[in-house]
Amino acid sequence: MDKIGLYLGCLIPTEQYAYELAIREVLPELGLELVDIEEPACCGAPLRHINLSLTMYLSARNMALFEKEGLDILAPCPYCHQALSEVKDVMKKNPALKKKVNSYLKEEGLEYKGTIEHYHLLDLLHDQIGIDKIKKHVKKPLEGLNIAAHYGCHLIRPNDIPRPDDSENPQKLETLLKAIGAESDYYNEKLNCCGAHILLNESESALTKTGQKLEAVQNHGFDGMTTMCPWGQRMFDAKQDSAGQTVGASLSVPVIYYIQLLGLALGKEPEALGLHLNKSPVGKLSSKEEV
Amino acid sequence: MSIVDLTSMAEPEGNQQAKVDEIIKGLREDLSHDCYQCGKCTSGCEAFILTELEPHKVMALSKSGFIDELLNSSEIWTCVTCLKCKERCPQDLAPVDVIFALKNIAVVSGKQIDSGYSNMLQAVLGTGFIQSPKEVVDRENNAVTRDALGLPPMKGPAEIPKLQQVLMKAATETLR
Repeated sequence: MDKIGLYLGCLIPTEQYAYELAIREVLPELGLELVDIEEPACCGAPLRHINLSLTMYLSARNMALFEKEGLDILAPCPYCHQALSEVKDVMKKNPALKKKVNSYLKEEGLEYKGTIEHYHLLDLLHDQIGIDKIKKHVKKPLEGLNIAAHYGCHLIRPNDIPRPDDSENPQKLETLLKAIGAESDYYNEKLNCCGAHILLNESESALTKTGQKLEAVQNHGFDGMTTMCPWGQRMFDAKQDSAGQTVGASLSVPVIYYIQLLGLALGKEPEALGLHLNKSPVGKLSSKEEV
Repeated sequence: MSIVDLTSMAEPEGNQQAKVDEIIKGLREDLSHDCYQCGKCTSGCEAFILTELEPHKVMALSKSGFIDELLNSSEIWTCVTCLKCKERCPQDLAPVDVIFALKNIAVVSGKQIDSGYSNMLQAVLGTGFIQSPKEVVDRENNAVTRDALGLPPMKGPAEIPKLQQVLMKAATETLR
């Protein structure tokens, strides 16, 4: 695989700029060309609360756009990735539905066939680019850092459709951390939810979930936490202070996208990876690493 | 344009009610045989710890026909969609999908929903995305934009009215 279509969804290109910067900086270094396509829109997952048909249409629409260009998809947001997986699965099993969706797509001059693959960064890095290739590119291994892995619910569930890793015991992120020289201990709260989904209408409960998980990570003595999800990153990084206030804890946990850590290990400049945009104290990671 | 308009404007009110009834009937038929109230969904529920959401009760109430009570409760809107209930159900049921269905029925029935959700819908209808690119601040409190960071301009649908039209059609049909 030497090129792939980049599908960023909504949250990454409108505010999670660090994630986008690091993706655009790091993947070409590993020999993968990223292609932006014309006219993408929301994957429809956030509208599922309102109307499932909107999710169906929008996910199919995005896949049809990439199909037209003959490109497989990189969807670095687990929420988008899961919507694409689910809609692809449903349309494969239900040809009548596929026909109906296509009758709508036709009005936008599109057709969904189901001929392309889509990846998240987790399986793209672990299974397609591969651990060996990543190890070969590492210039500054992150020795001495013990990083907590946060996968994100939609990345690993539900297990009745293809997901990038196992739903009960995912290990690919830990393997990727070890490939760049870091450690990643197991912790009991590893699969706990970040709470992002109810931030809109139940913000205190949402921030409690965020705070409880961060507190657990801090008490375990981790040097930081890594994510692969813009929604989880926003909760654990940007909302860390309010999450700490909500659970009555003084939190100081560096939270960093895995692709940013990978960029550091490849010797990239922190600013090129958007590290100045992380709100949590990510400087602690590099000072420990240098000591 | 409100959500109620979006989900009902294509049809006269009578047909809309018939459609809601049909969805509810389908939902109850799906549930009628299989859930035996083991409670594994609730024991693993990420929302249950903090809110009043008990997925096994949602299943029992749906099955028994207390749909309107569920539609009027705020509980169905506290699901964090972690999907653990679906993962753990020994009967391969998905309380999370029942909760999604109930939320969809609440919307189509014209129940009041949190403005956060309707705002997201309005944004997608207006721009194709749930929000537009924001100015953010870095750790030193300097304001930055996509442009200032050297990111390419964000691409989106060229013909918004066309997209809006198709979305509204899709929403009034039941694609499932």
